[in-house]
Amino acid sequence: MSSYYLPQANEVELFEAAAGMNLPVLIKGPTGCGKTRFIETMGEKLDREVYTVVCHDDLSAADLVGRHLIDENGTYWQDGPLTKAVRNGGICYLDEIIEARKDTTVVLHSLADYRRVLPIDRTGELIEAHPDFMLVVSYNPGYQNVLKGMKPSTKQRFISLSFTYPKPEIEKEVILKESGVDEPTAQKLVNIAGEIRQLSDSDIQEAVSTRLLIYAAKLMVKGFDPYEACMHSIVESLSDEEDVLEVLRKLISLHFSKAE
Amino acid sequence: MSSKVSHLFSWSKVLFEDSFEKVGIFADSYLRQKASRLHEETGVSFESKEKSLKIFYHLLGGDKAKELHITDKRFIETSRTLLEKFSGKGKSFFLAWQDEKALYFPATLSYFDDKELNDMHYYWLCAMLSQVNLQSSNIMTENARAAAFLIKKYPGFQDFYKQAKNLLLQNYPELSYIDSSQSEVLLDDKSYPNPLWIYPCISTNAKLLDFNDEEEMGREDGKKDKTEELKMKKKANQIDDEKETDGLLLFLPESLMSFMEQVNVDRQENDSFDEDALYNAADLDEITLGKKDANLSSRVKMDLDISSREVEDYPLGDGFLRDEWDYKKGIYLKKYVRIYPQVAINVEPIPLPKRLNAMMRRIQSELDLMELDRIKIDNLPYGDEINFDAWIEYRGHQNRSNHPQRFFQSFEKKTRDISTLLLADISLSTEAGVTQDIRVIDMIKDSLMVFSESLHRLEDSFGIYAFSSIKNKKVNFHIVKNFKEKYGELARGRIEVLKPGYYTRLGAAVRESGKILQKQQSQNRLLLILSDGKPNDTDRYDGRYGIEDTKKAIDEVRQMGITPFCITIDVEAREYLPYLFGRNSYAVIRDAKKLPKVLTEIYMNLTK
Ligand SMILES: Nc1ncnc2c1ncn2[C@@H]1O[C@H](COP(=O)(O)OP(=O)(O)O)[C@@H](O)[C@H]1O
Ligand SMILES: [Mg+2]
Repeated sequence: MSSYYLPQANEVELFEAAAGMNLPVLIKGPTGCGKTRFIETMGEKLDREVYTVVCHDDLSAADLVGRHLIDENGTYWQDGPLTKAVRNGGICYLDEIIEARKDTTVVLHSLADYRRVLPIDRTGELIEAHPDFMLVVSYNPGYQNVLKGMKPSTKQRFISLSFTYPKPEIEKEVILKESGVDEPTAQKLVNIAGEIRQLSDSDIQEAVSTRLLIYAAKLMVKGFDPYEACMHSIVESLSDEEDVLEVLRKLISLHFSKAE
Repeated sequence: MSSKVSHLFSWSKVLFEDSFEKVGIFADSYLRQKASRLHEETGVSFESKEKSLKIFYHLLGGDKAKELHITDKRFIETSRTLLEKFSGKGKSFFLAWQDEKALYFPATLSYFDDKELNDMHYYWLCAMLSQVNLQSSNIMTENARAAAFLIKKYPGFQDFYKQAKNLLLQNYPELSYIDSSQSEVLLDDKSYPNPLWIYPCISTNAKLLDFNDEEEMGREDGKKDKTEELKMKKKANQIDDEKETDGLLLFLPESLMSFMEQVNVDRQENDSFDEDALYNAADLDEITLGKKDANLSSRVKMDLDISSREVEDYPLGDGFLRDEWDYKKGIYLKKYVRIYPQVAINVEPIPLPKRLNAMMRRIQSELDLMELDRIKIDNLPYGDEINFDAWIEYRGHQNRSNHPQRFFQSFEKKTRDISTLLLADISLSTEAGVTQDIRVIDMIKDSLMVFSESLHRLEDSFGIYAFSSIKNKKVNFHIVKNFKEKYGELARGRIEVLKPGYYTRLGAAVRESGKILQKQQSQNRLLLILSDGKPNDTDRYDGRYGIEDTKKAIDEVRQMGITPFCITIDVEAREYLPYLFGRNSYAVIRDAKKLPKVLTEIYMNLTK
């Protein structure tokens, strides 16, 4: 089954070009705007396997590179997702790279630049990257962090793609395709999203994502009342503050009159 | 010309003339007599809706810089002259309107016998305000257009409008004109203003009609803040001038000056009065401000027989001379600015003010999440758990005798290796009002309280300093809490007594803060700057000069490995902050009332 992705701009062409030039790609964008879906689709298109690693604080270099394991014959070496992609070709996708500690991500440096090699300290190996190996990282620029953050010198090695929430027509199309909801409802969801995205950081912590809109639409297709569906997918997940909640509820009820 | 005037004329009549009852000009008496047709039991107050309406206005794309206000006596006051022009008597309605700066709502809405409808009425007016064009001269067609748009876009408003209109027409037959399809309905003395509409801003109305009072009206309404600002500037200048002649005396009553001398003598005789630290003020951060502060105040009273218990700013020595950057010459002016470190004495230790309890509770849940962070420490010779990875690696290792044999790991609470200096601008501009009874300085104080409380609970290392300036001769650098002092009631007391004054020589304050932060041992050092406007002073430290010196100072602290971050409530800050701090190192908070909460949230975000 091939996955569905509707381009926002020329990101498909840029990604293909980067792949052709053996350059790593960095994708910026808020959560739920289609980054993961995009890379899955590109993997299919380029016929390369995608190894996804979601980064977090506790992620160690061994989680990326690999480690020794033990069985009845003694110890043996097991490649991590990064090493697999480097050896066999494929896209290694590090989601939310900012969450990973710096001592974990140093292993990427020699892969990101012209050398395209991966040294494995524990086995003493130096692997030259397969021609089809590609490094892709993503992060959400909304979170600023002094303690972490990417070194500018590392950042400069990447081709950057900047994602935002799709334009209204595209977003509507995506909602229609992904949920099977009717056109007027999809339009309303896009309108609601447009309004919520007008709020600034001081009103609300994070804006509503395409993903949440699709959840709402899917609940409606399952037979839930539109107001209820929006409550559980959009409103409650955006804020815990009563003032904000009240307004969001009001907004939804203005678009979808509340069922009595 | 004449037709336009007469059209507006008739509308102004509707606005200001009420032919049903002869009531006084005061809002409450008017309301009382109107009570027969209103439903106070189910009424909704603006106060209860203000926050929600503001967010709602933003949702609909409204200008985020606009404030929300009650249209009450102020409306009546400003309109009185106009009113008298028409009828000689003062009467008014509470109508929704707006100008360039704000939206104005009635203080309560109670047209309907149903709380939900009255509630919705506020949302309706708010939505109308986001739609109606301020400049439009024909308010009837403009309101009709806006209403039609809202009804079409929002089924919820369609329901409301139908219901509201029917109920209003039942109760107010004089409103029958609102259903008229003609845009130029003739309005007579019996006409009643439509509570669902937005009315024009009073001063533009006056202008169009070319009244004699135009000038006065405008000032009273829109330019009020400008006059205030002017007044403030004047005040500051006066003080400044006096200062020129009186030197330090303006800031320190004579008695305190002599106290300083006396202490010098005193100290030799009595070592228990140990104020060495105070005099050795070159090391700003080394001063111990704990109980001694209280000691000191009682001492002042005892020795000098000061009867007042007034809070004073106690200078820590004569200050130090620091460099300043002159961008025109492209050089540092050596030892050009004098920094006066000082600390408030006679301060009453206070608990966390009650008004902040609710906010602290909310923040606590976020703090809890941060404290849960635990970090794995690996490759230990002994510890909580065996690290199988290390063990297996050892087993697979060619040369085992060479292996470090550290097989254990432990989970420890992460020590957050960070020191933060919070620098607050307390220049006279912070005297400005956020609302009628809250000033910017009040919000700054609350922010400092909530911030300190939070960092204290996180066990993060921090210091708090505040500053203001009078040319290069005196940059007041107030120590609220240094890094050594434990945060507590006394530090809170010092926050509480902060007073706005003078100007904003930001560069000097940034340099001083950098010096203090540089001495902190932490791996990460953060300089948080809380400000309400551009750097400025009354000498050439204004405009480009101030900006360039501040930029230089920021670059200097960056060089020291300190991360600067600026939080401002100046909505125009986007014009200069990116230049000063870079694109990602500042935040503009439009609603100053949010400052206390947002400041702490920003800190947590920056360091989580
Ligand atoms: N341009 C798009 N084309 C197709 N689906 C999209 C698009 N943008 C978003 N989506 C939908 O949004 C959902 C969330 O996107 P995802 O890729 O998981 O976001 P991210 O990785 O940015 O957090 C996807 O499952 C998909 O249904
Ligand atoms: Mg100022």
